[in-house]
Amino acid sequence: MDKLPLGLALDLRKVVPYETGSWRTLMPVNIMQTPPCNQGCPAGNDIRGFLRVLAEKKDYEEAWHVLSRTNPLPATCGRVCPHPCEDGCNRRDFDSPLAINSAERAIGDYGLEENLEHKKLIASRKEKVAVIGSGPAGLSCAFHLAKRGFQVKIFEAYGEPGGMMRYGIPSYRLPNYVLRQELENIWKLGIDLECNIKVGVNIPMDQLIQSYDAIFVGIGAQTGLTIDIPGQDAGNVFSGVEFLREVNSGKYVDVGKDVVVIGGGNTAMDCARVAKRLGANVSVVYRRTRVEMPAITAEIDEAMEERVMFRYHTNPVKILQDDDKVVGILCVQMELKEPDASGRARPVPIPGSESVIPADTVILATGQAVDYDGIEVNKRDNKWIAANENLMTNVDGVFAGGDAVLGLETVSAAIGQGTRAASAIEDYVDGGVESRLSSPPVIYSKDLNTYYYNKKRRFQKEALPIHMRLKHFKELYPALDPEAIIDEAERCFSCGLCYNCGNCYMYCPDNAVKISPKTGLYEFDLDFCKGCGLCAKECPCHYIQMTLEK
Amino acid sequence: MKEQSKYLEGVDKKDLFSSGHRACGGCGQALAARLVADAAGENTIACVATGCLEVFSSPYPDPSWRIPFLHSLFENAAAVASGVDAAYKALKKGPVNIIAQGGDGSTADIGFQSISGMFERGHNVLYVCYDNEAYMNTGVQRSSFTPYGARTTTTPTGNTTRKKNMPMLAADHGISYVATATVDDFRDLQMKIRKALTIEGPKYIHILAPCPLGWGHHGELTVEICRLAKDTGLFPIYEIVDGKVTNVRKIPVKVPVEEYLKPQGRFKHLFKKGVPSKVVDEIQEIANQNIERFNL
Repeated sequence: MDKLPLGLALDLRKVVPYETGSWRTLMPVNIMQTPPCNQGCPAGNDIRGFLRVLAEKKDYEEAWHVLSRTNPLPATCGRVCPHPCEDGCNRRDFDSPLAINSAERAIGDYGLEENLEHKKLIASRKEKVAVIGSGPAGLSCAFHLAKRGFQVKIFEAYGEPGGMMRYGIPSYRLPNYVLRQELENIWKLGIDLECNIKVGVNIPMDQLIQSYDAIFVGIGAQTGLTIDIPGQDAGNVFSGVEFLREVNSGKYVDVGKDVVVIGGGNTAMDCARVAKRLGANVSVVYRRTRVEMPAITAEIDEAMEERVMFRYHTNPVKILQDDDKVVGILCVQMELKEPDASGRARPVPIPGSESVIPADTVILATGQAVDYDGIEVNKRDNKWIAANENLMTNVDGVFAGGDAVLGLETVSAAIGQGTRAASAIEDYVDGGVESRLSSPPVIYSKDLNTYYYNKKRRFQKEALPIHMRLKHFKELYPALDPEAIIDEAERCFSCGLCYNCGNCYMYCPDNAVKISPKTGLYEFDLDFCKGCGLCAKECPCHYIQMTLEK
Repeated sequence: MKEQSKYLEGVDKKDLFSSGHRACGGCGQALAARLVADAAGENTIACVATGCLEVFSSPYPDPSWRIPFLHSLFENAAAVASGVDAAYKALKKGPVNIIAQGGDGSTADIGFQSISGMFERGHNVLYVCYDNEAYMNTGVQRSSFTPYGARTTTTPTGNTTRKKNMPMLAADHGISYVATATVDDFRDLQMKIRKALTIEGPKYIHILAPCPLGWGHHGELTVEICRLAKDTGLFPIYEIVDGKVTNVRKIPVKVPVEEYLKPQGRFKHLFKKGVPSKVVDEIQEIANQNIERFNL
């Protein structure tokens, strides 16, 4: 034994430190939680994931791969999504929510510019799946199945793929080239596409059921519903979907000088703004008020900016015509009474309040329905397709999703349904039982320690000035500045996921938070942690939580 | 090891005060001692007065200190540090950072004469006071740093005197650097330690270090309480360089003192039946005076 210095009875270098971890009653753990944005995204995008990549690595390419893991159409969604994710953003209670939608668009645009390609998860398998309809639901289903190696074939009834994104969304919101480029990127996964084939008409449904292992029905709601008013079969009376399809197909539609749009949904707003761009004076006629309008608020605002007239409390009674040509529309004023089954106030006509609005074209954007021609499945409320929680219809092996199941919903909701259907189809084909982990609990602002965040202004995308908007169908929002988007991503709270602020590491009075040599992340040295909870309390994003000792 | 997080730039973590000490969970003093040791670096001698810090960090054979450590009596940490400084000068060795450390009792009451002497003789020593506002080691007895209204075992109905203003007393010795800090802002604390160690002569840094046991709050609140102490104006953060008060930390949003008092058991008697007593108003008056005096 080495000789010890005078006065020492023990070699201090061989002494094991006193392990204070035995004092502990509560134990800190790192728990990744669900942020409200991810929770709110109908397409199931990992929003926090791509924002963190942008903020920490400033790497658009990786961010694109994170986003396109769930979403085949980021540039499209970045333009048309009404972003329910931003409604939940915990920054709402702090200053203002993140501009997630703009970030999504910037990432999507980067992917298109750089021609980034989707990655396949499994090279190939022999099972075949038919997808009916190439709208967002069908595309998303086909995309996820093709990534998992399935042989996918899409049947599209119209001349070009894209469904409502192609024929229903005007090109000032979603330019055609963006959609086309995104679609081409999806075809690279080896998906077959056959256009101008209407399943049930050109090809019987039974034939598909026999020759494919599974079928996904994503036919959307392509038929415009009209309301029952006299004169609706006059010339120059369109349904909303029909009008948008005509314009988006590149046909010239002569709308004349005055256009009246009936309805208050998103289709009505699109029709009104398209007609405005065709040079007409446009009035939107709606039975209730702005509050009850089902359209996205931003769309209504933009339509108002573009001088679309809104006539509330007004209901059409009769379309007036002169020699098969529309000349005006007879309307009656309404007053609102107690709410009906949908929760919206019930409009009742006021007697003797009739008036005439002059019109050269009338667009009835009063609802849409599924075109069931040749497709036989059970229905819900006699309108939409009935599907169980795995999105399977009453026919074995036939799945359905998107607007046809949900009723009128958003692109991202349809994408989400396609994703779910793809998983369900995989389980169905494999004969497996779905055993997916439920997502961890959602984090709300009360869980966060916002002391460590700084207030910062929200990114604001700039629309074209109004005098420039109405002359053409060019995109309303010009390209976004990638640097500004990275600044915006840095505002992300990173709710429920460590962002390396180092508070736990610096604040632990016992030095019990170490940097893991393997992963480089902070981890707890439970031999010494006394369980005081300081790290959990000072963790800005609630990633650290105290739990009972195991 | 991975690169340092960008949020920890300008912060030292060298583990010179390591795990395994016997402090209570959430101890503000243990946290402060580590931040001080890490900021000072390896070339440092710690002279620590008797008190909690010495008791929990230095039992043989596994002390937490990874730098030379001298334990002194309650009253003479500053005198011992003066001796170390004199010895280094006599042996023509150095330079070395000499940090005398003590709790509020050994700083303001028992050890005041040795500190005063050290300041007056002009030794090159940094004196760090860990202020937990009572004699916590011996069982929460009142010290002259105990704030007005606080309950200790020797003032069961609340302290009737005001807290001694030690930073000003130190500054009035004519020393060139005095600063106050709290454990919640580790950047600021470490910056002040490093800054002090570059200055020749005696220096004094006063660190508010909450004691969960003596103050009667949960260990997880240590940092939060410090933050409230700053934001109410009860513990102003400033530096005194050559007699002039500078770098005063402005309060972003002023907080009423009740928010600071309520989580703490030692002020619980001020809120009997949920009604704040008039002592709370007097404490608010102290905070207001601080805000006015330092223009917080």
